[in-house]
Amino acid sequence: MTRRKVLIANRGEIAVRVMRACRELGLGTVAVYSECDRTALHVRTADEAYLIGPGPAADSYLRIDRLIDVAVRSGASLVHPGYGFLAENEDFAQACLDAGLTFVGPSPDAITRMGHKTAARRVAIAAGVPVVPGTEEPFAEDLPDEALLAEAARIGYPLLVKAVAGGGGKGMRMVPTRADLLPAIRTARSEAGSAFGERAVYLERRLARARHIEIQLLGDHYGTVVPFVERECSIQRRHQKVVEESPSLALTDETRRAMAACAAAVARTVGYTNAGTIEFLLDEDGKFYFLEMNTRLQVEHPVTEVVTGIDLVHWQLRIAMGERLTIDPERALTPVAHAIECRIYAEDPDQGFMPSPGLVRALNVPGGPGVRDDRGVAPGFTIPLFYDSMIAKLIVWSDNRTDAIARLSRVLDEYRVIGVRTTLPFFRWLVAQPEFAAGQFDTTYLDSVLAARKGQAFVDATDGDADDAAVVAALAAWFRAHQASAGAPVTPTSGNWQRAARVEALR
Amino acid sequence: MKFDVEVAGRERAVTVERLGETGRFRIVLNGQAHDVDASPIDLGLSILFLSDGRSLDAAATPGPGGDWLVQLPHLDVSVVVDGRRHVRGGQGVAGGPGQQRVIAPMPGRVLRVLVKPGDQVAHRQGLVVVEAMKMENELTAPKAGTVTEVAIAEGASVEAGRLLVVIE
Repeated sequence: MTRRKVLIANRGEIAVRVMRACRELGLGTVAVYSECDRTALHVRTADEAYLIGPGPAADSYLRIDRLIDVAVRSGASLVHPGYGFLAENEDFAQACLDAGLTFVGPSPDAITRMGHKTAARRVAIAAGVPVVPGTEEPFAEDLPDEALLAEAARIGYPLLVKAVAGGGGKGMRMVPTRADLLPAIRTARSEAGSAFGERAVYLERRLARARHIEIQLLGDHYGTVVPFVERECSIQRRHQKVVEESPSLALTDETRRAMAACAAAVARTVGYTNAGTIEFLLDEDGKFYFLEMNTRLQVEHPVTEVVTGIDLVHWQLRIAMGERLTIDPERALTPVAHAIECRIYAEDPDQGFMPSPGLVRALNVPGGPGVRDDRGVAPGFTIPLFYDSMIAKLIVWSDNRTDAIARLSRVLDEYRVIGVRTTLPFFRWLVAQPEFAAGQFDTTYLDSVLAARKGQAFVDATDGDADDAAVVAALAAWFRAHQASAGAPVTPTSGNWQRAARVEALR
Repeated sequence: MKFDVEVAGRERAVTVERLGETGRFRIVLNGQAHDVDASPIDLGLSILFLSDGRSLDAAATPGPGGDWLVQLPHLDVSVVVDGRRHVRGGQGVAGGPGQQRVIAPMPGRVLRVLVKPGDQVAHRQGLVVVEAMKMENELTAPKAGTVTEVAIAEGASVEAGRLLVVIE
């Protein structure tokens, strides 16, 4: 029998992550790439790689026809969507099935039912799981303003307007008071329309001081559903997770088991298969509410893998190939360590987290005990403008949370990304905050402390730092001026730098 | 070799003199001499301060606008180097001493221009709002000073490295 191949319909760190699992399971790997990703790490990691179009995702990573064509041409029998791009697109899952390919994920029907937020809320209600108070159906476009205001008054302020499709904070607006409602609905609709092609929105009450807690689960094709120990994802910036950890300090074992049972009940109601995550809000009184389901592998899946020792991507592939889920449910619910993940982005935290794409000249990736680096970028790669600018996910673990934070602090100091600005200085600041150390935060914590800082730099340069920077710059300039006459580069250089040196040599 | 290095809005005169062929240098900064051993490494430079043995791994990357990104172990610092015998080519190079040229770090569209020539600006005051990657990014003043030039208009599309504002 020839070796089975998996097409990975994604890029960056998640494509590399999936390829690692494929290798370990003896499966072949097929990468796809856009024009600006020719030398990306996922292309270099794969057994085979195929160009699927220009840089913009709509012309490459979102082209279902080209992805299916590559899968068929390369002889792949499985398609792993990663996260983002087409991972929660029922048309893509269906197109794979229609082409005789195995989609590594849930059925198109489960994606449809759980991917639309109001439909998912109905599933949760049917499964007997509490949901955040809100509207059951999306609003009709032509619903009069009076009806919208009446519905909002029934639920109670403060509220959230949320897009039925999508996620990641897009199409979502805070509504503190009655006066904010109609403008918020208008902007959420237009944002959702351009981001997801669907303008439908609904209302949800905004719970005060709530934490975002989520339950990973796996389901096989024989009716077995296994929920996992929770992930705590309350450290968010503009509704985007920034730090994730497992377990949560806020959960008793009793609540953990109740939440896990609710998650499994929701999954069983739709006959869910493969990996998925149910997100909950946990209020101050320890009560939890179903928020939504992500019908894919999550960015933050490694923290669960670390604390349970179970490889989720292995299981995604094994389930897709028809294997029975044989995980001990007790093991999945019992954390043996405390793990924390930071998402390292090419963003300048001191300029409002503005993307700072560019050439990564060198990397120092931390090592030593208790560290995992899931990376999609290698030195020499220019981070493109077209996609999410994540460089790596840094995961650390230790016996308990205090030790894990100490380790995180050590590891963040070791991590160096040369050539572009990153969120590393921000994380070095965050781990030193007393609220973070004490685990006293909710989903509004980070946005409110960031707003209060009014753009103040995360790490202030002392006079000593400024002197060091001057010494480094002068020495680098000296080496730059001398490398041309020496004939060989004496410092690692960018292309422009080398060109400048050559010009200098010709003068 | 003498360099004028501007860090955090302050000029520093730095001289670099090689001591033989040993990789050792004498740096004179703020009138004070420091002997160092500086060796190129994968990250940039490994620097040992010979007086107290202090070890510093750091890198300096020239940016599109002529200013440099210096990366110390725990923080990134923007620096302007004006070496006198230093050749620079291309557009958007650093101006004269004390001048800071604010450039577009990425392609995008100028949504708002918040300053005009002659305006006094504070450190970190907003200058220009550029929309890129579907996000609004406010570019702020790298130092306090006077706006001497606004090189773009609202609505303009800009390339990475395009000069936006000059502050002196």
